[in-house]
Amino acid sequence: MSRWEVFKQDAPGKPHQAVGSVHATDARHALINAAHVFVRRPAAASLWVAHASAIFSRTRQELAAQELSTVDRVDPAATAAPGAPLEPYEVFRKSSNRRSMTFADHVGTVEASSAAHALELALAEPTADTALAWWIVPTAAIAASDPADAPAWFEPARDKLYKQQSQYGSGPTPTVRRADP
Amino acid sequence: MDRTEDDAALAEFEARIAAGEKIEPGDWMPDAYRHQLIRMIGQHAHSEIVGMLPEGAWIGSAPSLRRKLILVAKVQDEAGHGQYLYHAAETLGASREEMTEALLAGRAKYSSVFNYPTLTWADVGMIGWLVDGAAIRNQLMLAQCSYGPYSRAMVRICSEETFHHKQGREMIVLYASGTPSQRQMAQDALDRWWWPSLMMLGPHDADSPNTPQLVRWGIKTKTNDEVRREFVNEHVPELQAAGLTIPDPAMERDEVTGDWRHGPIDWDEFWSVVKGNGPCNAERIAARTKAHEEGRWVRDALAAFEAGRSAAGARA
Amino acid sequence: MTTDATPTGSLLAALVERVTAHADDELVLGHRDAEWTGHAPLLEEDIALANLAQDEIGHAITWYGVRSGLDGSDPDRLVYFRGADEYRSSHLVALPRGDWAFTMLRQYLFDAYETELLARLARSSYQPLAQAAVKIAREELFHLRHSQLWLERLAYGTDESRARLEDALAAAWPLLPQLLAPMPGDAELVAAGMWPAPVEVGSATVDRVTGTLTALGLRAPPLADGQVVERHVRQPPELGELLSVLQSVARADPEAQAW
Repeated sequence: MSRWEVFKQDAPGKPHQAVGSVHATDARHALINAAHVFVRRPAAASLWVAHASAIFSRTRQELAAQELSTVDRVDPAATAAPGAPLEPYEVFRKSSNRRSMTFADHVGTVEASSAAHALELALAEPTADTALAWWIVPTAAIAASDPADAPAWFEPARDKLYKQQSQYGSGPTPTVRRADP
Repeated sequence: MDRTEDDAALAEFEARIAAGEKIEPGDWMPDAYRHQLIRMIGQHAHSEIVGMLPEGAWIGSAPSLRRKLILVAKVQDEAGHGQYLYHAAETLGASREEMTEALLAGRAKYSSVFNYPTLTWADVGMIGWLVDGAAIRNQLMLAQCSYGPYSRAMVRICSEETFHHKQGREMIVLYASGTPSQRQMAQDALDRWWWPSLMMLGPHDADSPNTPQLVRWGIKTKTNDEVRREFVNEHVPELQAAGLTIPDPAMERDEVTGDWRHGPIDWDEFWSVVKGNGPCNAERIAARTKAHEEGRWVRDALAAFEAGRSAAGARA
Repeated sequence: MTTDATPTGSLLAALVERVTAHADDELVLGHRDAEWTGHAPLLEEDIALANLAQDEIGHAITWYGVRSGLDGSDPDRLVYFRGADEYRSSHLVALPRGDWAFTMLRQYLFDAYETELLARLARSSYQPLAQAAVKIAREELFHLRHSQLWLERLAYGTDESRARLEDALAAAWPLLPQLLAPMPGDAELVAAGMWPAPVEVGSATVDRVTGTLTALGLRAPPLADGQVVERHVRQPPELGELLSVLQSVARADPEAQAW
């Protein structure tokens, strides 16, 4: 069984964010597993999954160490002959070291001849300076949940109040918290 | 990479951590950092998985519909937490299958607190209150860890763990002022889970050789004794307010610092349980082994299905 | 025309029986699903079955709540202090969880039945029932997707997985008629527009599952024609065993006001 990276959109209009991965046999299976694993609590409007092998990943440190144009030519995610047709790629970017439960946010789509080329285009954007890490995924490699499924797949989590910590009292006495030394 | 390059890389690595940067998959890291993390994350993941068993055993007889729902959700979360942690280990090059085999073969450790039996329904509440209470403190610290995927898994886990703690406390507070039978069940559960919860936070600092390096690499930000002190200070007043007695005759309040000081911990028992002689060590591993073996035909079927699809795709 | 008004007399009794039977089915099935927690073949399925279990138990709470609106009964008292012979659940849901193939096949049969039932209950003349059906149908859609996905993977996995699926079908299929069978008060409920005709739900269910199974190359054995089956038969020993576990803590301290 393969690993599939999962991207969750919390609400319409917000970006899809990388949240983790699931083991599954194929995209349909991965989407259902992603719903079980990542949408136990609110909120979700949409899920994307992509086979782990389809992810082209570079951190800022990796980019500093090796020019994109010299990326190993046997890396199937990265290469394409010059003059190859342009395909759409989805771009995800991590921009902060702040504590978070998500890795990289979807920032846009580019037409490129390879994943490396797509990243070069993304790096040319002015906002790219603050980027700490990038994931490039061919659009064709992403399977999305059906919007028509959202009421069945995601909405029920909102009603499961019994597993939300806000439903429980704050305890028998106020907790005295000493300042850390 | 020669020695000078290695030293320079290590210096840059440690400077990044000191500056609060996250190390992400693909970044340079010392082999020791990678191996420490795989060991720690693996241990943590295995603890979640094995931890499903002592409480899972009580789902069937949860005494109200609401408690049944809550307990299924809680044990499900533990599976989910294991899942997030296995993912983090996978980003370091470990495989879930290898890690599972190491656990079942006795080569990988998990938190020994789960080698104690859950003898009554109230144990479920006490585990939520104390064991998850201790786990939360650890998890809050680990959420600041320097390795991105581990830190993110911990942040997600922290957001879900508070529910575990609160539902356990709610249950025990209710029973501590319930029927005589409920009150006795709650006190008995505390008597059996108090010390294992203290020990869960790890050996005393003097006996933890790994800690200084883990601190320097941003994997640990507090020592075991520091976390244990926080745990005791939080829980003692709450347990007493609920009308329960802490099973520690030496427990007393330091009038100067305000800290609650616990009595001596029986480390012989701790090490015995860690080494595999706890009451349920064999049972826990046997249960996980059975699940793994009996599920093998299912995983094989999934693999065959996936291969069949790929073959069909290639032929198309 | 829908109503909130509580029925009375024999209509009330008939509705209480039907709602209870459905609530009991959901509870027993949820209990069986939850038995996999910590023992599933892979981690994603520990999580998935626990979702199913929470949904089924949640549905049971909803249905017991509908009954509570009818006769003021307390759901926890119903669940924890009735004997097996007072339960109205079907035999199908009471069977032990078996292997993964059996659990998935049994789940699929029940999901298919519920899908057909809820689609029609959404038009019930008794408003609380219609509302519950609409809400629950939402989750059932996801359940059906999950169980169908598994049937496909087991059918087209290995020889062993297909064989186990066939064994599961042989064990579960004979119990389908009892799940779909009429209950004594049905005629009155149907006439009042409160509950769909069991014959209609039954044939829609059989059509649906036969279609799915046939597409997977599985043969659903023919159901004995003219066989008269009723829901109200003696409960199997498996239910008694299940309840002895389910009720053990609650019954040990019957004075307890709250848990």
